[in-house]
Amino acid sequence: MEEAKNPLNGGDSSPTQVSKKPRISGSITEHEIRQEFSHHNPKVARINNGSFGSCPGSVLAAQKNWQLQFLQQPDDFYFNTLRKGILHSRTVIKDLIHADDVDEISLVDNATTAAAIVLQQIGRAFAEGKFAKNDTVLMLHCAYQAVKKSIQAYVTRAGGSVIEVQLPFPVNSNEEIIAEFKRGLKKGKANGKNIRLAIIDHITSMPCVVIPVKELVKICREEGVEQVFVDAAHAIGSVDINVEEIGADFYVSNLHKWFFCPPSVAFLYCKKASSEFDVHHPVVSHEYGNGLPIESGWIGTRDYSSQLVVPAALEFVNRFQDGIQGIMKRNHEEVVKMGKMLAESWRTNLGSPPEMCAGMIMVGLPSRLCVSSEDDALRLRSHLRECHGVEVPIHYQGLRDGEEEVKDKDGAITAYARISHQVYNKFEDYCSLRDAINDLAENRQICRSIYPD
Amino acid sequence: MASSSLNCHNSHSLNGCSNPNSTPTKKPKLSFISDSEIESEFSHHDQIIARINNGSFGSCPQSVISAQQKFQLQFLRQPDNFYFNTLKPSILHSRSIIKSLVNAHSVDEISLVDNATTAAAIVLQNCAWGFDGGIFNKGDVAVMLHYAYGAVKKSVQAYVTRAGGEVIEVQLPFPVGSKEEIVSEFRKALEKGKENGKKRVRLAVIDHVTSMPSVVIPVKELVKICREEGVDQVFVDAAHGIGCVDVDVRDIGADFYTSNLHKWFFCPPSVAFLYCRKRGEEGNMGDLHLHHPVVSHEYGNGLAVESAWIGTRDYSAQLVVPAVLEFINRFEGGIEGIKRRNHEKVVEMGEMLVKAWGTSLGSLPEMCASMIMVGLPACLEISSESDTLKLRTHLRDHFQVEVPIYFRAPIDGEVSSITGYARISHQVYNKDDDYYRFRDAVNQLVSDGITCASLSN
Repeated sequence: MEEAKNPLNGGDSSPTQVSKKPRISGSITEHEIRQEFSHHNPKVARINNGSFGSCPGSVLAAQKNWQLQFLQQPDDFYFNTLRKGILHSRTVIKDLIHADDVDEISLVDNATTAAAIVLQQIGRAFAEGKFAKNDTVLMLHCAYQAVKKSIQAYVTRAGGSVIEVQLPFPVNSNEEIIAEFKRGLKKGKANGKNIRLAIIDHITSMPCVVIPVKELVKICREEGVEQVFVDAAHAIGSVDINVEEIGADFYVSNLHKWFFCPPSVAFLYCKKASSEFDVHHPVVSHEYGNGLPIESGWIGTRDYSSQLVVPAALEFVNRFQDGIQGIMKRNHEEVVKMGKMLAESWRTNLGSPPEMCAGMIMVGLPSRLCVSSEDDALRLRSHLRECHGVEVPIHYQGLRDGEEEVKDKDGAITAYARISHQVYNKFEDYCSLRDAINDLAENRQICRSIYPD
Repeated sequence: MASSSLNCHNSHSLNGCSNPNSTPTKKPKLSFISDSEIESEFSHHDQIIARINNGSFGSCPQSVISAQQKFQLQFLRQPDNFYFNTLKPSILHSRSIIKSLVNAHSVDEISLVDNATTAAAIVLQNCAWGFDGGIFNKGDVAVMLHYAYGAVKKSVQAYVTRAGGEVIEVQLPFPVGSKEEIVSEFRKALEKGKENGKKRVRLAVIDHVTSMPSVVIPVKELVKICREEGVDQVFVDAAHGIGCVDVDVRDIGADFYTSNLHKWFFCPPSVAFLYCRKRGEEGNMGDLHLHHPVVSHEYGNGLAVESAWIGTRDYSAQLVVPAVLEFINRFEGGIEGIKRRNHEKVVEMGEMLVKAWGTSLGSLPEMCASMIMVGLPACLEISSESDTLKLRTHLRDHFQVEVPIYFRAPIDGEVSSITGYARISHQVYNKDDDYYRFRDAVNQLVSDGITCASLSN
């Protein structure tokens, strides 16, 4: 297998100085970490790794190397280099997620693309009469908006119906989630409806909670759900993944969020035993019919370099104490610590217990901020970015029927900040957020100007 | 022509922001790009290779790559800010430039996608919905050229055939002697498709410049015929369009028109535009809804907006169109001058080669743009597609010449013995020496008595 040119030997110009120390696991220093992320805007308290991820300088350098190879002699790259490089990346991923066979691993742009692949297949089944009108697809109420729209485009339009399962938030235990899911699933099956596909998040986006997927997949099987698709956009590099144990038919995770790859690359795992579900990449090339991994490996002329640096990302990760396990553990511990620090300072709450978080946690915002809509949440986010140099997404949690309000001393808590912790974060980042929110809560004047009537 | 309005875009800076007031390049506009500057712009190309295959993967000058890197860095530096404040206006800027270049009526008609392969999937998925939704009858027809690009053929299979449509291929002659030959075959195929009015032709897919073998197709005439014959929709696959042939989408009159920008328009890999003619009061398409197959939260906001956000990705290739325009306008005559000189040069070199080898060209010069098919000596005994790949690999590995080869199967009763054609390209970085090296390589093979059979796999 052809070796990727090692960017760590200073093979070409890169934005950061690359250390020439030997690469021993656990040897990366604080200084080196700072250098690796020196391209981040130093003026921003970047506590939103969850949205767009991050990529260290050495992986960017590896990517540039691949890009240059293509530009130098694209035909040679296409005929002699590309496929091998993609296979190497897929093999690394197969091992990371404990898949049985590299044929089960395809590389695509992102989880949004993977959702389109799985749902287009469902849409075809409706069109071809394999599914009956009103056969059903089940999703979580807080499923990612792109996935919801994809269901609309491919399922609803083809005559299928949709069930949404509401999960509680704030949430206190896995049991609450499991109970709600069981309830929602049974309700969905009422009137003999056939559930053709269940889409379950491994880590929901907004609000962010780690879902007990293994248990939910088991329930799906028990209840006769035909296909299960786990949308684990945030999973790899956040939580342990064992796709065989989880047991879903399809499982997708973005590598550019928590696994240090550049934008953008995701893997879509398709269980071999489920190959009766005939999935294809929607962008059809001459590789059509050769299996999804091969189809996805060529969807026309494009820059595939982000798919080729997975080995370089693994090398980066292994410079940390205990590799990705160590990184996940420390991210989790730090984000819980910071979340508790913020909740204490603001006298609010956490959206879920620590064991239901990975590298992100939801922290209740003071009710005095009076966030009363999603637009308010967006305005608050912009205000924090523009006036306080803090980047953090805000979730508006409207009150739902029959639910008790969560209150602080001034009123109902209606908004949560989703804070992330990645290796480049510092205590000061969270202090900036803490102080900004305290200022805003103190100074109601500002609040009113952020949300015009 | 739209190009005369391009000069007003010169003031856009290379630093990746759409700021019409910023100072442009430091040179006075009077002098055009020099040969050594061109060399420098393409100095990242492997200098050992005679790179006469711009048609396959295109090329991108250093100044555009730098502009792209600036955008990439902006995103990496603060991605949320980039997403909320920079991405959309930058994509709109690129789309606006393209709208002017191709003479579209409205910028809403211009979407940016990865490549023509993606555009084909969009158009064909839309066609499949027509069948699935019962608007089209099973057995209604899609027409495409026999020389349609491999990916497009598969896409037609995946979307149209799968949904119950029937596919008819237009048999085109090659070598081709005149436009009339093409027009005549096209009419025949449409007649067959309509089956005396028993069926409807729902979609015609027409290449503007076929890939292999490469010929410029008289698309305007063919679109006109489609309208006369009641074809529902016409999709022109002009992967080799912008920067290669003249593109005036209103004049051509198709419903859909796609062209790659990374092939002949100096963009980095990869970006293409898909033009979708706005249907005013005319055009009854029922409830058909054209959308990007990768569905994001922008679903339902129109293809252009959907395509501008299909999840987290590197959109930088879509953002450098202003920088490309600046690059092009450093050449005498801008893109028109580049096209003209590429055409003249590739014809000159093609004629030089056929003279040297005693063969012939695959089509008349007026049916070429910046690529031409050059017959290879019969003694090479090219007798299959795998032979062409072997020969191509041999030329790359042993002679450092990069050029695609086309196998032209002999037809029964034919006297001509040319079964292989090389598709040579000319782009601004090419030199005469590239083609002399190719000439000499083939002469060497001939004098050594090499045949494809004797080449290793």
